[in-house]
Amino acid sequence: MARKTSIRFLLIFGLVLLSAGIVFAQQTFNTTVYFDYTSYLSQDGPLTSAPKDNFFAFRRAYFTYENRINDNLKFRFRYDADNTANLTSVDINTGSTKKDDKLRPFIKHLYFDYAGLLSNSSLKIGMTPTLTFEMAEARWGYRSVAKTLLDGYKDITGVEIDASSADIGANLTGSLAKSVRYGVMFYNGAGYSHPEGDRYKKIAGNIQLIPAAGLSVVGYMDYEKQDKDNSAYTYKLDGYFEMVKNLVVGTEYFVYRNDKYLTAEQVRYDVSGFSLFGRYSFDPDVFSLFARFDRYEPDNKVSSDEMSLIIAGLDWAPFHKSMKLQPNIWLTSYANSEKKNDVVFNLTFFMSF
Amino acid sequence: MKKLIATVTLGLAVMALVLVAMPAQKKMIQIKGSDTMVNLAQILAEEYMAKNPGTALAVLGGGSGTGITAIINQTCDIANHSREWKQKEIDQAWEKGVKPRFFAIAVDGLSTIVNEKNTLEKLTMAELAAIYRGEVKNWKMVGGPDKPVSLYGRQSNSGTYVFMQEHVLGNKNYSTDMKEMNGNAQIIEGILQDEAGIGYVGVGYLYDKDGKIRKGLKILNIAKDAKSQAFSPLDKAAVDSGDYPVARPLYQATNGKPSPAVASFIAFETGPEGQKIVEREGFYTIGGKYKEQNETNLR
Repeated sequence: MARKTSIRFLLIFGLVLLSAGIVFAQQTFNTTVYFDYTSYLSQDGPLTSAPKDNFFAFRRAYFTYENRINDNLKFRFRYDADNTANLTSVDINTGSTKKDDKLRPFIKHLYFDYAGLLSNSSLKIGMTPTLTFEMAEARWGYRSVAKTLLDGYKDITGVEIDASSADIGANLTGSLAKSVRYGVMFYNGAGYSHPEGDRYKKIAGNIQLIPAAGLSVVGYMDYEKQDKDNSAYTYKLDGYFEMVKNLVVGTEYFVYRNDKYLTAEQVRYDVSGFSLFGRYSFDPDVFSLFARFDRYEPDNKVSSDEMSLIIAGLDWAPFHKSMKLQPNIWLTSYANSEKKNDVVFNLTFFMSF
Repeated sequence: MKKLIATVTLGLAVMALVLVAMPAQKKMIQIKGSDTMVNLAQILAEEYMAKNPGTALAVLGGGSGTGITAIINQTCDIANHSREWKQKEIDQAWEKGVKPRFFAIAVDGLSTIVNEKNTLEKLTMAELAAIYRGEVKNWKMVGGPDKPVSLYGRQSNSGTYVFMQEHVLGNKNYSTDMKEMNGNAQIIEGILQDEAGIGYVGVGYLYDKDGKIRKGLKILNIAKDAKSQAFSPLDKAAVDSGDYPVARPLYQATNGKPSPAVASFIAFETGPEGQKIVEREGFYTIGGKYKEQNETNLR
């Protein structure tokens, strides 16, 4: 009964949104989906020694609704879906939970964007994108293939660095002059997938300098108190080169310092990483090549835990730019000589409509 | 290992095939942007292609904002825009290493239209601004019939929307009652059906296929202020002299110095043949100041 009601509600809600979209042309709907066919080309690395060696997997499905209410005010609602949002029920008596691996939607963005606070500025309030890697992601341009360095750090190394792509708070970005941009954000720090769990808030800021057309240097820092005695910081430096037509080269370097990250000897260790990426478009809507090199240092007090990742591939839209094939290869190598390299081939299907 | 070699070989073969096939495709010049300019640019492109066999041009609308975004993102060769670039767009271009060059290809007398049954003949700029800001709600407040004003305008990605807002509304917001239409043609259709309607369109859209002013429309004369004479957008001399207060150049932008193929097309548009087409389509030809700027930017 409840399920039928939910379906009816969703149908009515969908029809209302659809009709609203027809009446008010300033509203837009967009869907982006990407999924992979993955094949392990090595069999004995830490990743590729799993029993399955080839499979199809949906990774992301976005549904975005945007409404430009007037010249200064916009509203955005984005559903994201992956199979990590898989909690299906909680037993309130025992506290036990049930899970499955279905692709489930969750709210990724839910904010309004006001452009009239300061000259050339944008104030976002709600669940908004964070400043941490938004610019790097725009330059890399292949979120469908791989997350950028900080975004994907935990997936690659298993080490938590407290960097989320979206969070609840307020975010102000703008430009002070043609060559100087800024961004500040005050937010929970728990990420979009968790409610706030403590009394402390996170503060982040960046400064982007553009000394020449197409050349940017970005300094970023965030800070959050972890508890009464401990704090965490992220320091990041990015560089982007876009001075040659159709060529983008970018680099990221960061250090994450958390007072609670201690070795067995009670010495604090730092987490860091470096990424160099580039893409060249022969025709931006049809065919591009991309490559990336990442270096991961999950613990600067340990010498054998470093990892390197090389990604290379191509982006081809054989019929239309809304449907792309992005075959790519990942080669992961490890400083620990006991670990063998992982080689993975992905055929990524990208659709946006 | 065999599997790895096979897959890498297959991948390289696909890449090689695609790379070999790409240059074989005819390079098409992509033009995108202003809806006011889309028909004019389409006709200019068709005549250019007819005179230059082997050339290929594709013209798309979407609004000036769409065209400017496309040139910043390097997904088109020429952006059509009926307004100046905003500071935010200039900043974005700088950030992405895009150095726009501008070419004026025509002049537009942005025309204020009402239904032919409306008895009003003229408006001042201040009255026009008050109407679109929603401060004048009945035609009798500006000397017209006793009917509520029905506003027709464009969407925010339109250059004409922005031009009106900057040059007529004093950068204030449009009335929330304004019906935001997809294009000039939709505004005209709205006015033809609505006796209390008022809209703004590019001068080239006032004409039917026989080159006559479309039946059912009245074009209002516009005065700079209450003391000035009101002029029609159909008066070329008034548009050229600046006496008609809502005239504007129609621009194209390229990313840096245009390629030889793009430069050849722009030279055609801004040369005698192209300007004849501009005039035939109801817009006005560019004057000396713009010609000099175009020539400098083509070099």
